[in-house]
Amino acid sequence: MKDKPEKLIVKGKRLDGRKMDELRPIKIEVGVLKRADGSCYMELGENKVMAAVYGPREVHPRHLQEATKAIIRYRYNMASFSVEERKRPGPDRRSVEISKVSRDAIEPVIIKECFPKAAVDIFVEVLQADAGTRTAGINAASVALADAGIPMKGLVSSCAVGKIDGQIVLDPMKEEDNYGEADMPIAMVMPDKITLLQMDGCFTQDEFKQAFELAKKGCEQIYEMQRQALIEKYGVEGK
Amino acid sequence: MGRELAIPGDLLSGDVRLAGEGTYIEGGKVYASVYGVVDRREKIIVVPLTGKYMPRSGDVVIGKITDVSFSSWTVDINSPYEARLHISEHPERIKPGDANQHLKIGDLIIAKVIDVDVTMRVDLTMRDSGEVIRSGRVVEMSHTKIPRVIGRGGSMINLLKRETNCDIFVGQNGRIWISGRGDMANIVAEGLLKIEQEAHTLGLTDRIKEFVENAKRSEK
Amino acid sequence: MNESIVAEIRKDYMYDLAKKGERVDGRAFDQYRDISIEPGIVSRAEGSARVQIGNTQVLVGVKIQPGEPFPDTPNEGVIITNAELVPLASPTFEAGPPKEDAIELARVVDRGIRESGALDLAKLCIEEGAKVWMVFIDVHVLDHDGNLIDAAALGAIAALLNAKLPNERYEMGKDAQLPVADLPVAITVAEIGGKLLLDPSLEEEQITPAKLTIIFNKDGSISGMQKSGTGMLTSEQIYQAIEMASKKAKEIRKKFLE
Repeated sequence: MKDKPEKLIVKGKRLDGRKMDELRPIKIEVGVLKRADGSCYMELGENKVMAAVYGPREVHPRHLQEATKAIIRYRYNMASFSVEERKRPGPDRRSVEISKVSRDAIEPVIIKECFPKAAVDIFVEVLQADAGTRTAGINAASVALADAGIPMKGLVSSCAVGKIDGQIVLDPMKEEDNYGEADMPIAMVMPDKITLLQMDGCFTQDEFKQAFELAKKGCEQIYEMQRQALIEKYGVEGK
Repeated sequence: MGRELAIPGDLLSGDVRLAGEGTYIEGGKVYASVYGVVDRREKIIVVPLTGKYMPRSGDVVIGKITDVSFSSWTVDINSPYEARLHISEHPERIKPGDANQHLKIGDLIIAKVIDVDVTMRVDLTMRDSGEVIRSGRVVEMSHTKIPRVIGRGGSMINLLKRETNCDIFVGQNGRIWISGRGDMANIVAEGLLKIEQEAHTLGLTDRIKEFVENAKRSEK
Repeated sequence: MNESIVAEIRKDYMYDLAKKGERVDGRAFDQYRDISIEPGIVSRAEGSARVQIGNTQVLVGVKIQPGEPFPDTPNEGVIITNAELVPLASPTFEAGPPKEDAIELARVVDRGIRESGALDLAKLCIEEGAKVWMVFIDVHVLDHDGNLIDAAALGAIAALLNAKLPNERYEMGKDAQLPVADLPVAITVAEIGGKLLLDPSLEEEQITPAKLTIIFNKDGSISGMQKSGTGMLTSEQIYQAIEMASKKAKEIRKKFLE
């Protein structure tokens, strides 16, 4: 790992030139996988994630079925080559926790009663990681669900805020996350329903408020891009 | 272009009486629940662009036998839910235990959905419009494209039948049976693929007509 | 019987009560069940504490031994937190490797201790790059009647306060108190019928769509948060939760840890 840079904010700009309240460049592509029922590829700065949705489909093993609604399964997985030092393949404690909180973030919008006894499986693969993989995964998963035709109450949009050199910043990248003082990913359903909220580090209660409001603004911007990506898939070429 | 696309969560109306399929109501307003095209002609409905086939009573579907038991068959209907065909719903009189002599695993049938209960148990019948598919070919696509395959007032499907002299049966579950001369059946299959890929575009019927005519010319 | 299925009429009853400002066990929304902490109940461990919150019972043991530091932090001690939901604690717990609930529990407890700076890791360095103290915090759930996170987090900090560095065993001088620098307290808020309540019982947890755990340091700042459950919270509810929890954290810290 590189040594901590002396300062993470220089002359009012972050190391990658961003302003405090600026997201990294985002690219969203819908329907990128043939076999999946719905899919989405997302880049968030240097992060590259792929989400696939399978289902509704039959539940195996059967005892996991729920009589009146679908069950939702979410698997977040990091490719071994996605990080600087090779990650041992397979689930570790971090990815198990991320899978759980991501499912908790996505499940509230899915109208599960449409599919009794069935399962909706969401698979997120992180191909390249640079802080913010869980939020990118949730954004991609939400678009992939729409692409799969799953009935939902809305899209889920997610982004993180951090604290570096004592300042609140939107969407921290890797160095800011490594050497920052706090990190808080959130997910939101428009206009104001929070479905993910995690935080570690140190915020005073005032800082929390400032950070939380900034994170919500970030989610709003991401929502517009998710929406645009979906509209474009069928909208533009249809003339 | 006049098409209105919606994504889940889009506000569609303040009048809950208009809420139709593909929408939900919250706080006295109507929102889209699926990703699709908004149709405001009568009620407000969102016609999904993608998604799995969900069986409904009255649908005529093409099913594949996947299991045989003492008195019924299990039928895959291109849906998350499998269907059941009881021997009493077969056009012939079948004694319990003889099911296997009439329909075997892998057989394709045309059947009608007679009942879907709340737990998504699906029952089929072959008694009125049922048939066993013994020849020709069956292609599969998303059921959401089926309305385009049929076309307004049957315009698309009639075009294909007329131009190729094939018999075409469209199951509501996205499976389509083509029977006719081999080369013509191929043209139909390719035409269907084109319809599937371009289902969301305008002027499709004209393009398909052109495609079929060209294909026939090059066959000769 | 499947614990996750609560009878609809029971659910309705609890929602109705919440609307009236009441809870099934008669508590106020911001009232905890009785808390008791018994430190030092396992003498083989370097530190331990049993925490009871109502019927919920958690035993936290701390083992401390010398080990190698991580290459990227050569002069810092190591914290490793683990949680086991053993079958003795609930008919729904199964033997075997930790599942997601146990992992989430361990990771939230770990975050509280780590991010609050409760342990000054630099002070746990014995020989730079070669030898540091490894602090293992093991959470053993004995009886699960809801709100495991708060109980486990409280157990963890109480066990650390109780812990000694076992210098004698490793011939490094006299045993010494483990230096504890902050006193993080985790408070979980549950949402039921639009109302927020503290310290959800098992039954309340089964019907709550969303919970939010907030971990507070001595100075009132926040060192960790975790929303769980498949529901949604509004911003207002989140701010309200922080306010409620912040007060309670101070109260509990004062009464049991200081």
